Amino acid sequence: MRITGACHCGAIKIEGEADPAAVGICHCTDCQTGTGSAFRVSVPVAGKDFKMTGTPTNYLKTTADSGRPRVQAFCGQCGSPIYSTTPGEGQQAAYIVRVGILHQRDQLAPKKQNWFRSARAWVTGLDAIHKNEKQG
Amino acid sequence: MRIDGGCHCGFITYQGEADPTKTVICHCTDCQTLSGSAFRTVVPVAGASFRMLSGKPTIYVKTGESGNQREQAFCPRCGSPIYSTAPGDGAKDYFIRAGTIHQRDQFVPKVQIWARSKQHWLKELAATREIEQQ
Repeated sequence: MRITGACHCGAIKIEGEADPAAVGICHCTDCQTGTGSAFRVSVPVAGKDFKMTGTPTNYLKTTADSGRPRVQAFCGQCGSPIYSTTPGEGQQAAYIVRVGILHQRDQLAPKKQNWFRSARAWVTGLDAIHKNEKQG
Repeated sequence: MRIDGGCHCGFITYQGEADPTKTVICHCTDCQTLSGSAFRTVVPVAGASFRMLSGKPTIYVKTGESGNQREQAFCPRCGSPIYSTAPGDGAKDYFIRAGTIHQRDQFVPKVQIWARSKQHWLKELAATREIEQQ
């Protein structure tokens, strides 16, 4: 399906094609720190379909268990995470786009949870946590 | 309890005092975009106990639905969100992003705010296939 998205301040806009069946949660500790939250939600977009306006800040993360470096791109003005990809010049083969910045995120439900061994113990019990429809 | 933490690249480190029973999930759409995820997890730290030990975050000022302005602080080098707070000087709280706290295992959310914009699939996480690595 066609996806479009932007960071919070609007400096960076992206578009591309993504398969809703390929949406994944990542519970790794790097993603917990990089989002400041409990996990990340991402979907791959093929490089040939990926278009972007604006220039993100790139952070080269080298702490993966695999030893492989990854570029983590975020907006330098508002901090919104945009994607991760392989290091290198020019268009890359794929961009793992952060679902929270996509306009169609309601249609992008995760189908798998990676690195579940470091998942926060409470994430599967959210229904038991008190809910306020707005701010409590 | 005493907490310490920092961004992913190590440029920013901080410490403070936080009450784990004050841990909150925020499902607002601003938090979805600014985290790139489904929600944020935060805990307040009183300004009197909060100390930045190293680094200087970039500040992005966001205007909420209420019209109030909030400073959103993140690491300029790795992008990790660090806290939000009120603009200006004076006594104020820092809402620390729990994913950056070293003691985050002990910060279990007690309340979920802005549940009206909660991602619908979150209630089915227990049924979503789990993979121990990737």
